[in-house]
Amino acid sequence: MATAKEELSAVVHELGLDKQNKATIGRLLAHGGLGYAEEGSDGRMRAQVRIPPDELMWDPSVLVMPHEGDLEIEIFNDDGNTHCALFPSNGDNQFIWLPNQSRGTASLNLDGPGYYWFSSPIGNDEGRGLLGAIVVQGDAPPEARLDRPDQPRP
Amino acid sequence: MATEYLDAGQAVGQASLSGVVGSAPPVAQNVTYERILEARSEPQNWLTYYGAYDGQRYSPLDQINTENVKRLSPAWVFQAGTGGMHAGQSTYSFEAAPIVVDGVMYLSGWDGWVWALDARTGQELWRYKHAIPYDVSLCCGNVNRGVAVAKGKVFVVTLNAHVIALDAQTGELVWDKTYGDVRAGESATVAPLVVKNLVIVGSSGGEFGVRGHLDAFDLDTGEHAWRRYMVPKPGEPGSETWPAEGEAWARGGGNCWVTGTYDPELNLLYWGTGNPAPDFDGEVREGDNLYTCCVVAVDPDNGEIRWHYQYNPHDLWDYDSNMENILFELDGRKLLAHFDKNGYFFVLDRTNGELVRVAPFVDRITWGEIDADGKVTPKVYPEKEGEPVHFWPGPAGGKEWTHAAYSPRTGLFYVPVQDVGVEVTRRRREFKESIPYWGAAVVVHSGTREQENMAGSVSAFDPSTGEEVWRWRNELPMCASVLATGGDLVFAGEPTGEFNAFDARTGEHLWHFQCGSGHHSSPTTYSVDGRQYVAVPVGWGAWTEGFIPAMLGAPAGDALFVFALPE
Repeated sequence: MATAKEELSAVVHELGLDKQNKATIGRLLAHGGLGYAEEGSDGRMRAQVRIPPDELMWDPSVLVMPHEGDLEIEIFNDDGNTHCALFPSNGDNQFIWLPNQSRGTASLNLDGPGYYWFSSPIGNDEGRGLLGAIVVQGDAPPEARLDRPDQPRP
Repeated sequence: MATEYLDAGQAVGQASLSGVVGSAPPVAQNVTYERILEARSEPQNWLTYYGAYDGQRYSPLDQINTENVKRLSPAWVFQAGTGGMHAGQSTYSFEAAPIVVDGVMYLSGWDGWVWALDARTGQELWRYKHAIPYDVSLCCGNVNRGVAVAKGKVFVVTLNAHVIALDAQTGELVWDKTYGDVRAGESATVAPLVVKNLVIVGSSGGEFGVRGHLDAFDLDTGEHAWRRYMVPKPGEPGSETWPAEGEAWARGGGNCWVTGTYDPELNLLYWGTGNPAPDFDGEVREGDNLYTCCVVAVDPDNGEIRWHYQYNPHDLWDYDSNMENILFELDGRKLLAHFDKNGYFFVLDRTNGELVRVAPFVDRITWGEIDADGKVTPKVYPEKEGEPVHFWPGPAGGKEWTHAAYSPRTGLFYVPVQDVGVEVTRRRREFKESIPYWGAAVVVHSGTREQENMAGSVSAFDPSTGEEVWRWRNELPMCASVLATGGDLVFAGEPTGEFNAFDARTGEHLWHFQCGSGHHSSPTTYSVDGRQYVAVPVGWGAWTEGFIPAMLGAPAGDALFVFALPE
């Protein structure tokens, strides 16, 4: 039976797809809440993500940047197990080891609209649910866009 | 009670957790325009995408030759692998042409990877990773065709339509410019070309109804020098070949996703342009649709088009003409040769675009006919809504983007040939920005290899007659670039992983090595300390559904193989 898109979150929750070891073994990806990065007076964006106890997820698992640029992330591992984080960033991916009850930071640069995955690349943390998305809003700069009238979008 | 957190510190670059050295010798500092002009005079290097501006993909190196090639063995292998989730996870492919400067190799991979390697040992000297959005629009896989090197910098485009300059010693970013709109379906895959003090790049995205363009940037600063659209606006020259009403021109395609060639005496770039959009529904874009499916002769100083030759007027078969236009001389004439997707081999006078000769180079051509004067007569094409038509070659063409080679020693062109057909059913669709805009259902001959009616070859052609001189037949289409050398050898990889060497004069198959994954890249050759190497990126993928669906299940790969004679 098909489910309307607006009901999806409720059905995912009802089935337990947003929990560990309910409907599936792990947790459906990117179902750990949504948060926004905040822009400081220096133009850099800042955000926090956490790994809550026994949930094997990022909170938030969808982190929204209002535009391209530099992002400072503060990462907390509140879980009773050790994880790590691998973030996308121009220049090189950024890696940090996250022992239980630890706090670290990462500096990222993402230069355009779209979404980028981040994860804990050990064991199968990614498959269990420790896979989140950084969403970068905004548009290509005006000088890069096509010289044509505005076109219809989906 | 507040948690007392252990300090996990600051995240570090992933390369710091590897054997990467972190820096390369400053060999690229002295790579100037003047050196690239004379690239073939330093055969130890492969300084630019095609090896030289003429696009011949020929190296005078002759240490490896027809007598000793049977002893060719792997010298080293570089493997990149993949980590985390990346765009086009099922379609990434290793398509680059390795650049080599005085013992250092500069190489790009899929998904924003760039590496500097010790060309003698394969040791990773530095790496750069551009963060690519997972949701970027890619018609044909997560790929990149290579880098350019000059004045101490490495230039590369990214899938999210940036062109960047890296410090050739450290891999650190020097400048970064956006030249396309990912929200419009644009991306970038081309290997940049350095001419004078400019780095020249084209856009990808023709399958999404964009307006193709070529851009030039200042090498030192990244300042934008010029942009040339390949579909004119109303009122501009060529606009009469598009419908006067509506916005077909604004979605007309004509992208420049393969590197051009350059004649410094004429000061002309020869750049191929892609198919018009929508690919198969010509009724919405009546006319010849200039400058799609053309070679355009472009002044690199200002981007102006000096002349053009349209290989496929009003294309209805997805026959991009992006593929290389190889510069050569014959009987004192300055000519260029082009093997088009439409199955014909063209020779043009490169001073003015005049047709000198045209001849078929693949066995089955049913879409239409081109006579000796260049007159095009379409015969089979998607015309009626919902009615399937079948034609050869399919949309991957008699030859795909992968390149032919020319040996001045033999005077022959060596071509990777694909003989695959397709069934296309016109299905008109409304244009929406960022959504594929083909105007048809497309089924390239699919099924298992046993069920297929397809073939391939490496074929040698004489440009003075247009005749085939020899052919090495393969049961699968050949879809990797060919390399010709002064040892009278021709190298070409197969979709099933074999890397082959042939006698350039006879086509005799002399050597092969199984690389474990299919070839869809451009091998190059160089030498270090007097030892000749042949380098070939190996990694099957990209738009396999377009050129050999019967190989969609073949092993993926991510390795660079480098071969040499035993010491």
